[in-house]
Formats: sequence, structure tokens, C-alpha cells
Amino acid sequence: MSEFPILVVDDEEEFVSTLVQRLRKRGFAGEGVLSGSAAIARVAASDFAVILLDMRLPDMDGGQVLREIKKIRPGSRVVILTGHASASEGEEGIKNGAFDYLLKPVEFETLLEKLEAARERVP
Amino acid sequence: MKMYTATIPGSALKVRSRESYYARQKQLFVVVVILVAIIPLLFISWTASHFYQKSWLNKTTVELTSLADSRREIIDLFLDSQENILAGYAELYDLDWLSTPGNLEKLFKAMNRQGVIVDLGLIARDGSHCNYVGPFAEDLKDKNYAEARWFAEVMQSGRYISDVFTGYRGVPHFIVAVTDPSRSWALRSTINSELFNALLASAEVGPGGDAFILNHQGELQTPSRLGLTALPSVEKGLLATGGDLTIHHSQGALYATTGMKNNAWTLVLKTDIKTSLADFYRARQRDHLIIACAALLILGVATFLVRSMMNKVEDADQQRMVLYDRIRNSEKMALVGRMAANVAHEINNPLQIIGDQAGWLDELLDEEDPANLKNSEEYRTAFAKIKAQVKRASTITHRLLGFSRSTEGLKAPANINTLVEETVSFLEKEAANHRIAIRRNLDPALPAITTDSAQLQQVFLNILNNALDAIGNDGAVTISTSRGNGQLAVEFADNGPGLSEEGLKKVFEPFFTTKKAGSGTGIGLAISYSIVERLGGDIEVRNGRQGGCIFRVNLPITAQ
Repeated sequence: MSEFPILVVDDEEEFVSTLVQRLRKRGFAGEGVLSGSAAIARVAASDFAVILLDMRLPDMDGGQVLREIKKIRPGSRVVILTGHASASEGEEGIKNGAFDYLLKPVEFETLLEKLEAARERVP
Repeated sequence: MKMYTATIPGSALKVRSRESYYARQKQLFVVVVILVAIIPLLFISWTASHFYQKSWLNKTTVELTSLADSRREIIDLFLDSQENILAGYAELYDLDWLSTPGNLEKLFKAMNRQGVIVDLGLIARDGSHCNYVGPFAEDLKDKNYAEARWFAEVMQSGRYISDVFTGYRGVPHFIVAVTDPSRSWALRSTINSELFNALLASAEVGPGGDAFILNHQGELQTPSRLGLTALPSVEKGLLATGGDLTIHHSQGALYATTGMKNNAWTLVLKTDIKTSLADFYRARQRDHLIIACAALLILGVATFLVRSMMNKVEDADQQRMVLYDRIRNSEKMALVGRMAANVAHEINNPLQIIGDQAGWLDELLDEEDPANLKNSEEYRTAFAKIKAQVKRASTITHRLLGFSRSTEGLKAPANINTLVEETVSFLEKEAANHRIAIRRNLDPALPAITTDSAQLQQVFLNILNNALDAIGNDGAVTISTSRGNGQLAVEFADNGPGLSEEGLKKVFEPFFTTKKAGSGTGIGLAISYSIVERLGGDIEVRNGRQGGCIFRVNLPITAQ
């Protein structure tokens, strides 16, 4: 598996740790953070191919984090992943530069399909 | 037929109490308007009537007074003239001349050209008849008046006019008597009663009126027009003889009394108030009729106006209540929406973790040696079941999000008939499997409306799905579209068992379901309700006359 770093941003520690483990098992360079500020810091420090972003974070609004990420790395692909998501929230995210959105709970296979789609779009 | 668009506990009770409130208000207003309009009318009528009655009575009194005065004068003059003529003869002639046969006849003829007197008699000091001219010669020839009251009176005072008496001749009459200057003999004439009575009879006292003369004892001196032979005691007491002209008012009659013949007699004129005020009473009756008509008109107009006014108020109140109910329902649904979204979010995260953990375990299982795993298949089945249940739960949470979904910016012109056809196409196969026919009765002239087609389709799907579930097997659902009152209606009528009273009330409440546990969440219709409401319409439910349930979705034709 080539380098395909993925950043998982979610305040649910259980979710982040399991997902990162499963991604690594599939060969992705998975990494997780639990807050918006940590996500922005990580994106600034390192270029991730895909960022899985929860819209509800303890310190910042997901939309705000999305805008900051797109400012720092306009080429990054952000997939919104939220439990609150109504379609409109996801669509709002796409308008703000998100690659796509997924509604929790999402099956791992669906998530992988979305990541593959993002990888194919790598410029 | 019962129909529910929204449910408010105790609303039926409120409607009843409101109805009685409006009925009370109507009655109150009608009474007030009538009192305000009719009381002044009655007051004016009463005052006018009273005033006119009084003036009529005054007029009658004045007329009666003047009549009594003139009659008294005429009669007094008549009696005086008779007395004076007789006195003149008594001075002019002596007893011898008058006693000479033939002379008294000459005098009688000279005096009586108008037939005023009936007879003429000459009576000597001892009371014996010296001479007599008249029809009672035979009866009176040998009579002596020495004991007669009139004779004593005339001999004492020189002149005398008697009351009416019967005397020797047996006929009621009255006399005028005078003596010669030395009071040694008397000349007496009997007044023609008919002529005398005629003096009174000509007095116009109207029908029911009377005119007569009374003596000191209250005895009639002239016949009563009403045929009275004696005066009723009431009148006798009232009409004290003599005195100046007086007006009495008693027992519906007006009396004018005045003393005459030096207060020896009393002239009485009586007029019946009722008859003399007949014209006034007729006018008053006409006035009363007009006032009654006016009062009836006021009553009718007041009732009509108050009714129509109160009906408008009632309508406005009802519209306000409906609006209020809708607002309350909207608020309730908005709250449910917010709550549902939060619950969905809170549940989605643990669901994600449960699913992930199961998936992770499943993957890890691949690395285990199947030989060392006794229950490998059981584990796989369990993980599959967990995944399936997570999926099931997530279906519910995603549907819950339908409550809070916004419709902003998603509206576009849509043909409702096409939308119905599309919806039917999704479920037609399933319906056919259960031998359920889906019939369409669509109005081809239905206009396109601006709405959220996707959400509306969700509503139609929910309703149609419920109808299919309610029928079970073998049946039919009829979908009709129509328009009217600026609205467009889509009706889904099934021939299932229908809903209970309780069901009709609660069908749109979240988590209400008639389906068996596990097969329905009870949020489909609640979401449908909130969607249609957001689209500016409403949903009604009722049981059909031939059974089954009818859901009706009303949508505004103009965009909301």
C-alpha cells in the first residue's frame, strides 16, 4: 500500500481508535485527533490525502474546521462524517469545499468505497 | 363524520362552552339593543298619549262647562219670564175680573200662544178654586188647596215655582204661582213639561251623555235621557245640589253641575268620557299599532344584526382558534424535530462504535486459527446480526431526522398527479403481491404547484404504505386528486378496518402505531404531518362511510 495518509477527526475516542486500527490494517496511514484545533494543527504540520471530519466537535464547529483546513491545504479532500447530519448539513459542507459526506452510522465498506473514490481523484 | 386535523385535549368541551358563550352574548346584545331602542319609543308614546288625553279631556270639560252655563241661563230666563208674566197679570187684574167667566180664558189664550203652559187657575185665599182654564177642569173643580204646600209657600212669599209633583191630577208636573200684591188670591199656571224638557233635550252631551235637573232631595225634575227614574246613590252623593258651576270626574263620566232657580234646583250635564274621547282613542289605537309595528321591526333588525355580527365574531374566533391550534402544533412539531435530531445524533455515534467494534472483531477473527475456534460460525452470525441491528436502528434515526429537515430552497413546480403515479409505481408490485388494487381517480385539470416533490413523495409513500399495511391482503386503495377553495387535495381511501376513535385522534402523534411491535415505528405519519404543514397544507383523517380509512392531504395552490 502506497502512502495514503488519512486523518480521522472526531470527539468519540472509541470511534477514532477503532477506525484508525482498521484503516491501518487495510494499509492506510491512519491517524486520529479528538478536537478541531488538534486537526488544524495536524493538517498544518502534515499533508493528509483524506480528512474524515465530524461536524460536531467539542471546541469548534465542524464547518469552521473545514474552512480552516481548506485555507491551509486547498487541495485536501475532506469527507464529512456526522451523526447529526441531515442531508442539508452535508450539502452545506460540499458547498464549502468538502469532497463528500457520510451519515453515521456508516458501514466500514461504504467508508472504504468513499476513500477509494477520493484516492482516484488524487491530482 | 368525525375528522381530525390536529388534536387538542378537551377541545370538544371548549367548543361546547364557547357555543353557549356565544349564545349568551347574542341574547344579551339583542336584549340591550331592544331595550335601548324600544324603551324610548314606548316612553315617547306614553307621554304623547297622556298629553293628548289630557288636552282632549280639558277640551271636553270646557265645552261641558260652557254648555251647562248656557243651559242654566236659558232655563232661569224661561222660568223668570213665566213668573213675571203671571205677576204682571196679577197686578193688572182683580179677583172679580178674573173670576168672571170667560176672562181667565182670554188671559190664558193671550199668555199661551206658544203653548208654554198647560192650564191656568185662580185660587182664593181659602184655597178654593175660583176659576180654571185647562184640560183638568173636571178633576180640579171642587179641590181645595188650603193644605197644599205650594199654596202655603206662594201665599207666604208672593211668588213660587214648585218642584215636580203629581198632585190631584195624577200626572207629574210643576207649577208657577204668584199672588196679587195684597196676597188675597193666587194665580197659578202649569208649565208644559214637554216644552220645558225640550230646553234640556237640545243640549249636546254626546252619546252616553245625560242632561237633567234635580231638586234638593236629589229627585229628577226632568226625565233622564238614559231612562233613569231615580239617581244612583253614587251620583246622588256626588252631585250635591246648588252652588256654582262645578266639574266632577267619576266612573268614566264627566259631570257639570250648577245651581239654578235660586239654588232650589241643580242642572246636571253628564258626558261619557269614553264616547267623547272616541276620536282620541281611535287615534291612540292607530298609534299603538304603528308603535307595535316599529317595535317588531326593531326587534327583527336588532336580532338580525346581532346574529350576523356575532356570527362574524364567532367565525373570526374560530379561525383564530384554528390558527392557534396550528401554531401550537407547529411548535410541538418543531420541538419534536429538535429533540429527534438530538436523539438521532446521540444514538448515531454509539451505533457507529457498536458497528465498528463488531466489524473490527469480525476482521480480527480472520486472523485466528479456525481449528482453535470452537464457535467460529456462531461468532460470524452474531457479528452479522449486530451489523443488521445497527443498520435497522440507523434507519430509524435517519428517519427521525425527517422532522427537522428544512424545506427552504427545495421547492420547484410539481405535477401532483405525476407524483402520485411515481409513488404508486414504487409500491404497485408489493400491492399486487398482496392482491391489493391501487385505483386512481385523478383530476386531469390539476394545476402544477410549487412544492418540495421529494418530501411530498415521502408523505404519499408513508400514507400509501400504511394503507397497504392496514388492508393486509385482498383489497383496494383509491387515490383521488381534486381542487377547490384555492387548495388541491389528494385523498387516499382504503377498504381496511379503519381507525378507532382513539386512533383517529392520535394517528399523527409521534410513535403512535397500530402495527404489531417491531414492524412499525409510528413516526411515518408524524413526519408526514410536519412535512405537509411546512409545505403550507394540512392532513385530515376520517373513517369512510363504507368502512376503511381516508387520508386527505390539502396543499395550497399558490406557493407558501
